[in-house]
Amino acid sequence: MRWVRLVLGVLAGIPLLAGCSAVAATAPRCGDTERLGLVAQTVPSAGYVPCVAGLAAGWRSSGFTAQNGSTRFDLVSDRAPGYPVTVALRPSCGSTAGATPIPPRTPGGRTYLTLASIDPRYAGTMYDQFPGGCVSYRFDFARGPHIALMAQLAAAVGFVPRAQLRLRLRALLGVDPG
Amino acid sequence: MEVSRLPTGARPAPVVTAGSEVARRRRRPSGEPPPLPREAPGGTRWYAAAVALTLALEIAMAIPAPRRWLTAVDDVVLRALATVRTGWLTSVLRAVGHLAYADPTRVLAWATIAVLLLTRHFRQLLSYLAMLLLVAVSAAGLALLLGRMRPTAVSMLAPWRGYAHPSVPVAVFAAVVGGAVYTAVPTGHRHRLAAGVATTAIAAVALARLYLGIDHPTDVLAALGIGGALPILGYRLLCPHEAFPVRYRRGRTAHLELSAARTAAILEALDRQLGIRATAVAACGLDASAGSTPLRIRRADGSAVFGKLYALNHLRSDRSYKFARMMLYGRLEDEKPFATVRRLVEYEDHMLRLLRDAGLPVPAPLGIVEITPEREYVVVMDFVAGAKDLGARPATVPEIDAALAIVQRLWHAGVAHRDIKPSNLLVRDDRVWLIDVAFAALRPTPWRQAVDLANMMLSLALASDAALVYQRAVRIFAPDDVGEAFAASRSVTIPTQLRARLRADGRDLLVRFRELAPARPPVPIQVWSVRRMAGSLALLVAVALAGSALYGYARVAGLL
Repeated sequence: MRWVRLVLGVLAGIPLLAGCSAVAATAPRCGDTERLGLVAQTVPSAGYVPCVAGLAAGWRSSGFTAQNGSTRFDLVSDRAPGYPVTVALRPSCGSTAGATPIPPRTPGGRTYLTLASIDPRYAGTMYDQFPGGCVSYRFDFARGPHIALMAQLAAAVGFVPRAQLRLRLRALLGVDPG
Repeated sequence: MEVSRLPTGARPAPVVTAGSEVARRRRRPSGEPPPLPREAPGGTRWYAAAVALTLALEIAMAIPAPRRWLTAVDDVVLRALATVRTGWLTSVLRAVGHLAYADPTRVLAWATIAVLLLTRHFRQLLSYLAMLLLVAVSAAGLALLLGRMRPTAVSMLAPWRGYAHPSVPVAVFAAVVGGAVYTAVPTGHRHRLAAGVATTAIAAVALARLYLGIDHPTDVLAALGIGGALPILGYRLLCPHEAFPVRYRRGRTAHLELSAARTAAILEALDRQLGIRATAVAACGLDASAGSTPLRIRRADGSAVFGKLYALNHLRSDRSYKFARMMLYGRLEDEKPFATVRRLVEYEDHMLRLLRDAGLPVPAPLGIVEITPEREYVVVMDFVAGAKDLGARPATVPEIDAALAIVQRLWHAGVAHRDIKPSNLLVRDDRVWLIDVAFAALRPTPWRQAVDLANMMLSLALASDAALVYQRAVRIFAPDDVGEAFAASRSVTIPTQLRARLRADGRDLLVRFRELAPARPPVPIQVWSVRRMAGSLALLVAVALAGSALYGYARVAGLL
């Protein structure tokens, strides 16, 4: 009886440990084809699917949530503790009136920046707008390291064209997310 | 001629004659099942097989080739289901699918927790919480690990969230509903009915999610394995119905149900192991017994024997009772729990024989029978026919003398009974029998022996008068012994039943005896052991952590 309990305890312990990772659900990397497929399913109209291209030292992703209509995740830098960047994919950006256009990050797309404050904190939202979708990045950095942090943020999030993702999914699973 | 003699004090071996009790006894040959074999409840193998299949499915999903093949099969099934989509059916199944959404499931989970808490089914409650946590964390962890997309073969007709495999809402819904039925509904017709309703609800939710195209069939199958089959196996291990039945009627929950199978097993065991041919077994005196299930066993000749059925749940009760006493009162003395049920019954049978040999009026021990090895045993002894509990009527002087002589003999034998109370003293024809010797201790501490005298005098005074009992007591005990007895007495040393009767009686008999007996400072009885101090500290820390742990648990298990 005791060994049965021991075995069950160990079996129960494995998912409990796995559960720790459940709390820290990370955003898919650009090479995770099927996970990106789920992101693509959340906004079926989006021409690009955001993903984690590469995190600079001190950055991590957490709080990944994908549901019909949107995908959200956080990017946190150890130089901005308590102020995660919230990245969200939605069908549209809403109004970008008053936003400042900056060099686009996606072919055929547009990128905007709105700033809520510059000093003492550099805070605002950046938008990547492309056909059928929009990725927003809400940030709030201390002044000083904000220049490096903004550059690292821009490099952290990449985009996979939907057409390319469809080809990859067809080859991998024989499915087409449309 | 040399005559062989038995050593002094030895008993002659019983004469074996055809048809006698000894002749009918028989050893159980190797390989023959015991009277009540330990069998897994019906369906356990199926549940175990379902869990094994789920494990195999999860392994297959982690390998690209089988995953591709399973996805193709899933798509075929989903396309077939999509052919029956109609407007009204979609509306109905959307409503059914809502059952698995967080709010209704949370309400049911909290309701079950509240019922189990209020009805003091603590073992079931802990098992339920453990299973919910296991299912919620397993399903969510696997979903993250496998990272499967939602179905692509058909359009999705309802909201969804997160990775698809396994279906977390179906797993949690099955765990919440199935667990509620297992832990909160008593066995029998109502349980079968509730299980049927729960199964239908789970099946309806699963089917609705497939129809709506938000889960693959393999997502649902894995969820049913994790949320349905796995917790059932857990409950059968942690709180099996046979040992921990769900009851809502008043009364002690420690007693085992005398099912037809158990009754037949007891009758067979009595015949084969002790040669006692019995025809009926019935529970008796349940109210006065918390540590075993007392049985009145009718023999074929119309006479009766008494049995005490001990099982694993009694062993666990004994452990928790002793732990609680250590925390509250300190280790009063020798209150180490028994390791096995066998040790428990061996001890009681041994004490009966020891007290009988010491000349104490105890029921004659007849032996122990094994019902299920290491799980259930019956200690068998004579039944004191026609006897009543002390206090059923006013005690006579010969009864008082006989009862006090019992304590004197206990002292001479170096034994403390430790549970002297009216229901453990049987009276008939001016004779008194001492029963229930399970708590007795050999060579106890002096104060514990003194307390036996105090409890006996209090029990007698309830059925007569304190002055009379004191007057009879000092005929065989020194007044200083009586003074010591009441100097050592306090609420923790008085059995619960005796304490309740003293309260109901109204006379302050303890104070009255202290007035009658020579004055003596209180005898210290508390023992502060390292174990008690460490245990108390651990308990405090546990209580302090419980709040935050509960909050964390509720978050992880999805109850918030």
